[in-house]
Amino acid sequence: MSSFKRDKKEEEEGGSNPFLNLEKTSVLQETRMFNETPVNARKCTHILTKILYLINQGEQLGSREATECFFAMTKLFQSKDVIMRRMVYLGIKELSPIAEDVIIVTSSLTKDMTGKEDLYRAPAIRALCSITDNTMLQAVERYMKQCIVDRNAPVSSGALVSSLHLANTAGDVVKRWANEAQEALNSDNIMVQYHGLGLLYHIRKADRLAVTKLVNRLTKQNLKSPYAVCFLIRIACKIIEEEDAAGNSNAESPLFDFVESCLRNKSEMVVYEAAHAFVNLKRTNPRELSTAVSILQLFCGSSKATLRFAAVRTMNKVAMLHPPAVNVCNLDLEGLIADSNRSVATLAITTLLKTGAESSVER
Amino acid sequence: MDSLMEPTLYTIKGMCILDNDGNRILAKYYDKNVFPTVKEQKAYEKNLFNKTHRANAEIIMLDGLTCVYKSNVDLLFYVMGSTHENELILLSVLNCLFDTVTMILKKNVEKRAVLENLDIVMLAFDEICDGGIILDADPSSVVKRVDLRNDDIPIGEQTVAQVLQSAREQLKWSLLK
Repeated sequence: MSSFKRDKKEEEEGGSNPFLNLEKTSVLQETRMFNETPVNARKCTHILTKILYLINQGEQLGSREATECFFAMTKLFQSKDVIMRRMVYLGIKELSPIAEDVIIVTSSLTKDMTGKEDLYRAPAIRALCSITDNTMLQAVERYMKQCIVDRNAPVSSGALVSSLHLANTAGDVVKRWANEAQEALNSDNIMVQYHGLGLLYHIRKADRLAVTKLVNRLTKQNLKSPYAVCFLIRIACKIIEEEDAAGNSNAESPLFDFVESCLRNKSEMVVYEAAHAFVNLKRTNPRELSTAVSILQLFCGSSKATLRFAAVRTMNKVAMLHPPAVNVCNLDLEGLIADSNRSVATLAITTLLKTGAESSVER
Repeated sequence: MDSLMEPTLYTIKGMCILDNDGNRILAKYYDKNVFPTVKEQKAYEKNLFNKTHRANAEIIMLDGLTCVYKSNVDLLFYVMGSTHENELILLSVLNCLFDTVTMILKKNVEKRAVLENLDIVMLAFDEICDGGIILDADPSSVVKRVDLRNDDIPIGEQTVAQVLQSAREQLKWSLLK
């Protein structure tokens, strides 16, 4: 019976998984197909998928194998099939750390990123930046700056994110792109705004004064992107902590007011980020702490397990430092003891252990 | 202390899709310090699968990572981040991943369909997260950029089998609603 079952299972697997039992060598052989003209886009896309699948499953490619495969792939730039082109970009990114002489595709990618087809441009930028090194960056710098301020949101986002990756290896070149990043920050697109802020902060972060200025300005202008606001809260908290540590804290810091105003944001993500920040800031006074806790208390009743988890985990932290602040939520926490999510239940119990009194034992 | 962590856009540590035996269908890890080898990654995935496949509980903390997840028929979707990360941000990425795949597969979210459209699903991974930075979290804009197949053959040119197939699917979905 059991063998019958297994057979059946294998049969099903074989039928449903076209990628089962792929052989690396034979798949690499198939890349010969890439040399044919005209390119058969459908077949070549399938072969590319197989290669990427094998790599994703942990198959190791040697340097020679990878290089051969990479060079075969470059032939596919002849075809204009969109999906295949995109798979080629993925292949470039996947193989570039292993293969040699990958800079051979620089000009093809530069052509795609400056071309008319928006569907090529954004991913081409990201692929290009994965093969670009410090010396070559100078050559594409002009295009990168243009792309950062491009009106097409994915192009702009792609360029900003790639710049951030590059900043780890070519920090001084990327530093020169601050003006462009600044412009991206004013974008209407929520992701571009987020990425713009991320890059600008990265460029400026060594300069305390510049960061403070940036944050002060942004807290006054209502950022649309909840991701950007979350990020801004984190920067603000860092400045507040640093100022406090340096001993020049002013009681009515505008940054502190900004974080407080975020508790009334319409995005749950931002509200939670702000509440979380209050709990972690050293200077939070009991009144503000209780505001934050009452928001977390609301989250406890949410139907989303993640929201309940986030709330209880933060309360657990409050309970460690200021148990009385969480006392008011004991009833809510007791309700979570039997939560369907075990992490939530465990956290609720450990929190109660810190805040609970004898009177609640019976319940 | 959390608040002293350097603010960074590198939010996502990993994303993966597993089948109902805990085998990897597609997985990406973005932080070289977390599971540097595939062996460690797969061991983690097995562990994660064992802890999550029965309880549909949405979130778990495991081995120093916060992991949000979602299951459907024979697939499990995971998004991982550091334990200091805002859980709701991770959840927004998970929702984007799941909704994107749902739209790509035309609501037919199961292992077979994912494998048949693996190229598009790979592209979707790439459009949602780039090296650990959230690139886009809006499923409809991701789908617009990756699902470029023009398989909408006009009805006059479809074969009888194709018409029957699409009718069957529509019926199935109207019944399941």
